[in-house]
Amino acid sequence: MKRTVDVSVPIGPIHPCFKEPARVKCETKGEFVISAEVELGYMKKGIERIMRGRPWQEVMFLAERVCGICSVIHNMVFIEALEQMSTIAVPERAALLRVIVNELDRMQSHILANFSYCYTIEHETLAMYLLDVREHVMDELERITGARVTCAYIVPGGVRFDLRSEDVLHLRANLAVIEEEVTRYMHMFEGGPLIALRSREIGVLSRGAALEAHAVGPTARASGMPETDRRIHHPTYKKLGFSPVSRTEGDNYARIMVRFQEVLESISIIRKCLDTLPEGPIRGGGIPGAGEIAYSGEAPRGELSYFIKTDAAGRVVDISIQTPSIMNIEACCHYMLKGVSSLADVPSTFVSADPCIACTER
Amino acid sequence: MAFPIIPYIQEVTRLEWLRKFFFVKTAPLLTPPYFRGFPELTGKTCTHALFCMMACPAPGAIDVIRTPGGWQPRIHMGHCIRCGLCVEACPNGVLTSGRILESMFYDNTRLSFSFRIDVNTDLCMGCGNCAVACPVNKLIDAQMSHGGRASTDELLLKVSEGKCHVLHVEKCTGCKTCENHCPNEAIRVSRLLEAVHGQEEEV
Amino acid sequence: MSILQSVKNLVRSKSIHVAYVDVGSCNGCDIEVLACLSPRYDIEQYGIYVHNNPREADILLVIGAYTPGWEEKLHTLWEKIPDPKVAIAVGNCPISGCLFNRPHTLVDPPVSKHIPIAAEVPGCPPRPTEILAAVLSVAPLVFKDYEVAKR
Repeated sequence: MKRTVDVSVPIGPIHPCFKEPARVKCETKGEFVISAEVELGYMKKGIERIMRGRPWQEVMFLAERVCGICSVIHNMVFIEALEQMSTIAVPERAALLRVIVNELDRMQSHILANFSYCYTIEHETLAMYLLDVREHVMDELERITGARVTCAYIVPGGVRFDLRSEDVLHLRANLAVIEEEVTRYMHMFEGGPLIALRSREIGVLSRGAALEAHAVGPTARASGMPETDRRIHHPTYKKLGFSPVSRTEGDNYARIMVRFQEVLESISIIRKCLDTLPEGPIRGGGIPGAGEIAYSGEAPRGELSYFIKTDAAGRVVDISIQTPSIMNIEACCHYMLKGVSSLADVPSTFVSADPCIACTER
Repeated sequence: MAFPIIPYIQEVTRLEWLRKFFFVKTAPLLTPPYFRGFPELTGKTCTHALFCMMACPAPGAIDVIRTPGGWQPRIHMGHCIRCGLCVEACPNGVLTSGRILESMFYDNTRLSFSFRIDVNTDLCMGCGNCAVACPVNKLIDAQMSHGGRASTDELLLKVSEGKCHVLHVEKCTGCKTCENHCPNEAIRVSRLLEAVHGQEEEV
Repeated sequence: MSILQSVKNLVRSKSIHVAYVDVGSCNGCDIEVLACLSPRYDIEQYGIYVHNNPREADILLVIGAYTPGWEEKLHTLWEKIPDPKVAIAVGNCPISGCLFNRPHTLVDPPVSKHIPIAAEVPGCPPRPTEILAAVLSVAPLVFKDYEVAKR
């Protein structure tokens, strides 16, 4: 079939709306986008090649630097994979502390994604409000782990630092502030008529298309697939008891709202952890041994899998990482962007899928 | 749908918004005390155990140099990733960063090192380079012959029957000298780091 | 130096446009640059405007360890920035390659091999206050005596 293509518009790699280099090539007919394609390859560092032949204390830091935004979950999945492989037991307190730090990380990642979206649709007020509330989350992360972004908190058999009793008070007070603020911004987003014009019914990903594209994370949950949340399989989360959020609209608006709701969900998970936090040691010791495992966890952007093979000395022989963004970027280009009625909506739709180019290419 | 301007007017007439608008200045750009900065010296005596260098995940971030006052670790900015592993690994508390040392004291945690030496008998030619080069062997038997053969069994590495044998792995200091001197890549030293809870047992 | 020139220096140091380019980092420094925009650190109160358009930038923040995908593009980008211009390396990656500078890696650090770097901010990632301090310390020097230097 012959297609009428007016112009092929490349967006990126340097674009005011994109924080990271990626090129989206849109074939358009007038302003109407017929098809889109993403071109990657600006961030390939070869992390998996560097990881081979290294012990856990080096691979742990490399795994964190697969993606700087969701660094805690990379750390957690890698270490928990090693623990499963060598049957290292984790103390109860350490397991809950891991969940607390992981949820804080998820909160800041979601708030950052929503900030980018609001910034892209030029709603700078809401964007700056969100960036301000993110600083409160970063404060808590820093108070617990000692670093803002690459925390290096989780080690085999436990965590590195304990949560002090005075920090619990700070954390609870800050959580109350964050909850109040995020709820207010969520209502601002929900009720903003101009936001609705730029977000509702734009970049629609139906449930069928999401299944076909293997969308994961908030992108899939906005299309009515709550079962994609890997946290429901995690033993510690199972004990805490939580239900994944999902929406059915599948447009930009739903994706942002899912993230807002997940931030509130994370706050309640952290509160449950703090209520049930037992006293006890935070490190159980244990040295990883030989083995082979596939292990996955729920990153802020979706399912993250590690396939690891180690030798008797605990060195990583072979490793392969599957990150969530690659599926979401493909879903975004092949399903969401198709049929977008204006080129101005292309960056905002792309950003609403929360693409993380660094972890896509590694 | 509400009239668009009303939410915005509600927003800017909130008391807190007005208070912030008129009275709040930018927060002082201070580094909080709990931030893990670049490791600094505490003034305690460094014993040249080199655990900081072994734990460090960044290439070229830390080395231990000889100064007139004794051994001293040196941090290279631009390479150091401020992970704080060197602070935790040091048995003497020479380095400090943020409140890691304080936390280790309160939480009663530490990082312990153990070493493991693997000799690949298929590749080993029994040349004895590893046994001769090993600094632990030198302390025990300074008269070791060039083939790595010796009369005593107190050694860390010893060549007998044409192959290298590991006799006392607990004496290993993890320096990897043997690995660097092996012509055939037959010997490999693994530094096993373990995050443990409890008091220091061995020095 | 004339009075006019010193007035120009002062005024121009209060109006700096910043662009950032990510040449293969882990995103950690990226979000710390974004955090500089937040109301707490508020880089714009110093007259520094961060956006991502190299054609009107004065300061380029280079983040990342220089991957092969940027081989010609970074230099092209550098040429597109109008004079006067400076580049600041943010984070360990452009300075030394951080953890990625190992055998079998694909990156080619440091970035100063490829474009001239005026200042470096070590840290993995640096705190927003450190980035802010670096930009503020470079800002008065970008336009300093520009007319005199051009002659």
